[in-house]
Amino acid sequence: MSEHSLQTTRRYFLGQCTGVSVGAMALHAMGQQESVGLPQLPHFAAKAKRVIFLTQSGGPSQLELFDHKPGLMQWAGKELPESVRNGQRLTTMTSGQKQLILPGITKFSRHGQSGSTISEWLPHLGEVADDLCFIKSMTTDQINHAPAMTQFLTGHQLPGRPSMGAWISYGLGSMNRNLPDYLVLISKMQRPSDQPLYDHYWGSGFLPSRYQGVKLRNSKDPVLYLTDPEGLPRHLRRGMLDGLAEINQMHFEQTQDPEITTRIRQYEMAYRMQASVPELTDLSDEPDHVFDMYGPDSRRAGSYAANCILARRLAERGVRFIQLFHPDWDHHSRLPSWCSARCRDTDQPSAALIKDLKQRGMLDETLVIWGGEFGRGVAGQGKWDSPEAGRDHHPRCFTMWMAGAGVKHGTTYGATDDFSYNVAENPVHVRDLHATVMHQLGIDHERFTFRSQGLDFRLTGVEQSHVVKGLIA
Amino acid sequence: MFSGVSFGMFRQMFKSLFPFLIVSAVQAEPISFSRDVLPLLSDNCLTCHGQDESHRKADLRLDTQESASEVIKSGDLIARIISDDPEEIMPPPKSHKPKLNTEQIDTLKRWIAEGAKWGKHWSFEKPVKVPAEGNPVDFFVKAKLAQKGLKLSKAAPEHTLKRRLSFDLTGLPPSSEQTVDSLLASPHFGERMAMWWLDAARYSDTDGFQSDATRTNWAWRDYVVESFNANKPFDQFTLEQFAGDLLPNATPEQKIATCFHRNHMTNGEGGRDKEESRIDYVIDRVNTMGTVWLGLTLGCTQCHSHKFDPITHSDYYSLNAFFNSIDEDGAAGTAAKPYLSYQSPHAKRAVAEAQQLVDQRKPIEGKARQEAEKPFAKWLSERQSNVKADFKAWHDVRGLLESQEGTELAQDKDAIVSASGPNPKQDDYRLIAPIKLPRITGLKLEVLPQDGVLSRGKTGEFILTDIKVQVRRKGSSQIRDILVSNAVADTKIEGKAREYGDVKGTLDDDPRNGWTTKGFPKDQPHTALYALAKPLVLDSDEELIFELRHRSTNGDANIAKFRLFASDQPGPAVRELAPSTLEQLAKGHIEKDRLMAQFLEDHAPYQTAKASLDLATAQLKEVTTAAGKLNVMVLAERKEPRDTHVLVRGVWDKKGDVVKRDVPAAIAPWPADLTRDRMGLAKWLTSKDNPLTARVFVNNLWQMFFGAGLVRTPDDFGLQGQRPSHPELLDWLAVDFMEHGWDVKHLIKLILSSETYQQASNQTDQADPTNLLLSRGPRFRLPAWMLRDAALQSAGLLNSALGGPPVRPHQPEGVWEEIFMGRFTYEPSQGAAQHRRTLYAFWRRSIAPTFLFDSAQRRVCEVSMTRTNTPLQALTLLNDETMMEAAQALAKQMLASPNDRLQLLYQAVLTRQATPRELSVIQRELDRALTHYRDHPADAAKLKSTPELAAHTLIASLVLNLDQAMTHE
Repeated sequence: MSEHSLQTTRRYFLGQCTGVSVGAMALHAMGQQESVGLPQLPHFAAKAKRVIFLTQSGGPSQLELFDHKPGLMQWAGKELPESVRNGQRLTTMTSGQKQLILPGITKFSRHGQSGSTISEWLPHLGEVADDLCFIKSMTTDQINHAPAMTQFLTGHQLPGRPSMGAWISYGLGSMNRNLPDYLVLISKMQRPSDQPLYDHYWGSGFLPSRYQGVKLRNSKDPVLYLTDPEGLPRHLRRGMLDGLAEINQMHFEQTQDPEITTRIRQYEMAYRMQASVPELTDLSDEPDHVFDMYGPDSRRAGSYAANCILARRLAERGVRFIQLFHPDWDHHSRLPSWCSARCRDTDQPSAALIKDLKQRGMLDETLVIWGGEFGRGVAGQGKWDSPEAGRDHHPRCFTMWMAGAGVKHGTTYGATDDFSYNVAENPVHVRDLHATVMHQLGIDHERFTFRSQGLDFRLTGVEQSHVVKGLIA
Repeated sequence: MFSGVSFGMFRQMFKSLFPFLIVSAVQAEPISFSRDVLPLLSDNCLTCHGQDESHRKADLRLDTQESASEVIKSGDLIARIISDDPEEIMPPPKSHKPKLNTEQIDTLKRWIAEGAKWGKHWSFEKPVKVPAEGNPVDFFVKAKLAQKGLKLSKAAPEHTLKRRLSFDLTGLPPSSEQTVDSLLASPHFGERMAMWWLDAARYSDTDGFQSDATRTNWAWRDYVVESFNANKPFDQFTLEQFAGDLLPNATPEQKIATCFHRNHMTNGEGGRDKEESRIDYVIDRVNTMGTVWLGLTLGCTQCHSHKFDPITHSDYYSLNAFFNSIDEDGAAGTAAKPYLSYQSPHAKRAVAEAQQLVDQRKPIEGKARQEAEKPFAKWLSERQSNVKADFKAWHDVRGLLESQEGTELAQDKDAIVSASGPNPKQDDYRLIAPIKLPRITGLKLEVLPQDGVLSRGKTGEFILTDIKVQVRRKGSSQIRDILVSNAVADTKIEGKAREYGDVKGTLDDDPRNGWTTKGFPKDQPHTALYALAKPLVLDSDEELIFELRHRSTNGDANIAKFRLFASDQPGPAVRELAPSTLEQLAKGHIEKDRLMAQFLEDHAPYQTAKASLDLATAQLKEVTTAAGKLNVMVLAERKEPRDTHVLVRGVWDKKGDVVKRDVPAAIAPWPADLTRDRMGLAKWLTSKDNPLTARVFVNNLWQMFFGAGLVRTPDDFGLQGQRPSHPELLDWLAVDFMEHGWDVKHLIKLILSSETYQQASNQTDQADPTNLLLSRGPRFRLPAWMLRDAALQSAGLLNSALGGPPVRPHQPEGVWEEIFMGRFTYEPSQGAAQHRRTLYAFWRRSIAPTFLFDSAQRRVCEVSMTRTNTPLQALTLLNDETMMEAAQALAKQMLASPNDRLQLLYQAVLTRQATPRELSVIQRELDRALTHYRDHPADAAKLKSTPELAAHTLIASLVLNLDQAMTHE
């Protein structure tokens, strides 16, 4: 039967058009929505067709990875001057102790023609330095994980707002009728994480729930309930869905409720996803040299590295917003073993994703973002001069990088003070980042609103936010 | 033709969305300030010219008559709106608000011409009962329809109405002859109402946030069910939930009622300031009260005065003051006092049910054990004759060696691997080997001394941070991880979870812990045993990868010499260091108990029976605990009241002026005789002078039965919310509700006995596309929880017991584990507990039950309904285990009947007979399925079915997935 009966069904509905304007128009309208998003978007020509957001959850240390402060050596073990701290709130984990300075413990070197400083823990990233735009002056308002991550992804510290991916899939719609517009991939880790990844991080908030991120799981069912039970062959499912559609259609004739036609379409989409998702998540057709490029971990399903390959496959299939989460960057202690472990997980695959997209000619239209919800403080947590030392959360400054899609590559934007404590020049608030990402997608963040509870909401909220021109080529 | 139709439709939609515009264009009625003018001002002007001082521009207010009169009189208001000058025009271009259109401008001009009469926003005026004849619902709805030349639709068919009533009042499909009265008297009525109330109350069985600890507040849920069943007047219900603890001679249940205001999330994140959390909780209570009772978005006033509604920043904190002196300190988990120690009468039934299941499964396990004796004897005698003296439980592993950072590894003739050459600070070693055993149950790692020490580091001590067991197929790019369930070593070290010592630290991928034998002899070998979670069978082209990771904080502790063994022996052999039973046997020692234990471990019939008993026993233990005294989070005042401050910009530690307990005067005055406490607050909410509470309640009920409220923004009755479609009806019902002493069942009966409610829901009339005029009956998809309950009920599986501790319905494996990286595991309930109503499903705040869609998230209060239509929902209803169980149970019922099987199915699921056209489709699909399963009985066997059962199950699933089966028609 395959798609045949669906086509018949569609023709049937459209044939009814003259007599049944409501249902037919609804069907027509929905068809449009599914392909093009909001009619007024994009506001202007887009540089990016899609986004791959490599979310590093827990707060990676800018001091160990990117923000090189050789001058700190002379401050080692000394108390952070109050003039620098300037009233910054601490978490209750360290608010009771002296703020003794722990200089970055890694070696840095310059990479590429741009000469970006990158830590020894990220050797592969250095190879693509000239494709990256580092933002060293990121800043946020929140100091604890859940509120900070919620703000980082939804623009507001409290749950309930749509995530960036949901906004974008709502606004721009889908480029693939067999897959959802917004997909989420989470690294599979052995260790229980201290920071759960709440589903509101990719939630749709007050937007219709069809725009929420769909999590691709690393299990038999990459999407919940996707797989038919064993013993139910595909052609029987097809027959059952045909029977279902026929009876639903009889009922539509009687009730004229357009929801019924939508339901028929959604059952068909479900059927198509049952084929398209396993095809997508099965990496066995990728050649060896791809796995070699992404590193040994990429052969292990569910790893960050394997998810990076999946992200590229999703990009190839036209998925609009692809978001990876790599947990466990919350390094309150033992930076040498703990922080370096997360670097090891992510360095090679992140760099490989950039190379891979570039080789395939896709980097120009794909915006890649790397970063976490905040940074880490210059004071050591625990005994500062022991390898046991770690760092507490720090919202005032942190580093992110972006690549592709009209981003100014081979460059570093913004700077922190000598202590990597305050932003010294060109601050980029999380809101500014949101505005800039929207801009690359052809959206004016001020004009992209949704009315809920009587208010016009937007991702960037009510406070001032700007597209950061210095990040754009 | 097409465009003609669509134009008509758009006009209608336009009318229904902006009724005031059309009305003003018609020039029939005089302009109404609250209906026509205030929404215009609110949408376009008040953001900058409202009561919020901090955002006010040009020192101009347009929200009060006094302050607006000057610009109205001078003509400035209109001049600025119609100006062509970009510097002059209002709203200004940079606000991104469009210019007012001609109709809007005309409205304002006419209003001014008619004398610019001022008034209040409709919802702040007290409701008035205007006279109505007959059923008031029909009276007002018909009047409105008549204005548009429309009439009510004809009554819905009997079976449709029967279903509609049954779902609306009990959340279940009809089971027998039912009347409105019998349904209202059903104990399931309280459950149905409770599901709505729990969403509004953000009820959950866990805290939320990072630690998401379990709480035991379910006694409050039982209180809610009982209150609705007892038809407790809503003012009393309100009073108990706000101030049950303050009532004279308060009963334990009245104290439990106050858990309503403790159902908010609690945050136990490390590093969190408790006072900040405590203030969050107070704020959450006020916001929830705002939404549930007042229909106002009070949350807006946390940071600034409301831009649209007459609630000020300081009003907000005056409301906070009522909740600010609770005897709490912002802690979460098991320290979230105040608690009431309470023993629920509802748990006994669950204990009896669980005990019954244990009693049922125990003899099965006993019998399975008994039946194992015989095969055990046979197995033992075989082993006794087969096991040679040189029997080895462990076989050394030889293969390819790799290192990540350059250590040179080589294996000698005794399979010992030695490290030499470069000695990096950290390194990963890999041994890759084909293993010629029928299966692998565990691995043994021997760390051997080299030159009298165990590592290549300065101290001679090794630190193994993690191990990995993986399988690689030759020629395949993919590697799979093999789960190791247990590790033991000959060195027992007590230590903190984040220290080096215990060998179990090598299983968690965390480089901050791991195995070291520091403190034990360095010149002796040491052994670790790794038990696999499941026996591993390698194909001939598959290889095992064993990885040793040395990634400790200080490094310089890489193993110098080691040997790896694999075993195919089950149980103790790979979990205990003692020589394995068969090794002992080979030496002539017969350890019967250990041998039997080992045998049973591999004896599937026994393992099945035992696993099933273990689950029942665990469940019994859990409900027995629940039947004892539990801490329920409640309200209680602390001795010393706290001062309440206005919080500047809503920031918890930016304290402004001190405020006293008070309510916003714009809503209703504080009655003079009330005490300024939570009791007074509850009475103010339900006072006759409060214009909001009764209206909001009526609207929520209306939404429940009609799929949308009379006010379509149930959470916003303020200026930015939608106006009621039938204001006189809303007011009539609200006043009548109060006059009848807040009698909920009376109100429901009044609504449901109307012709309006009983109309057919067919959408054949295009004049009212969104049914704003109520020209037809409500047709909408049932909430997901009702779909699950209905499927269970139709299939005869529903366990209709009331109350008690939460249960865990089927959910796909691993969803909790993924979110918490293994910290919480989900074990579905066993036996009859599996088929309880969804109301009782355990609610984990970070991940709501997966089988529910479009449900409230229960993080903050939610009263508006979302209804989407997505492929993920289709997949859920097709493949969820509960839905499949229901389909199979229905198929069994069908097969038990000699004839009319398809009609029986239709009757059970849809409460009606199938039409001949429907029958022919169903019969066709049934025949197709029967042919397939008869030709492929193996497929039926995979479904644990006969061919007939499998085919009928598929058809039952088809009918359960029909649009009609999931729709309130």
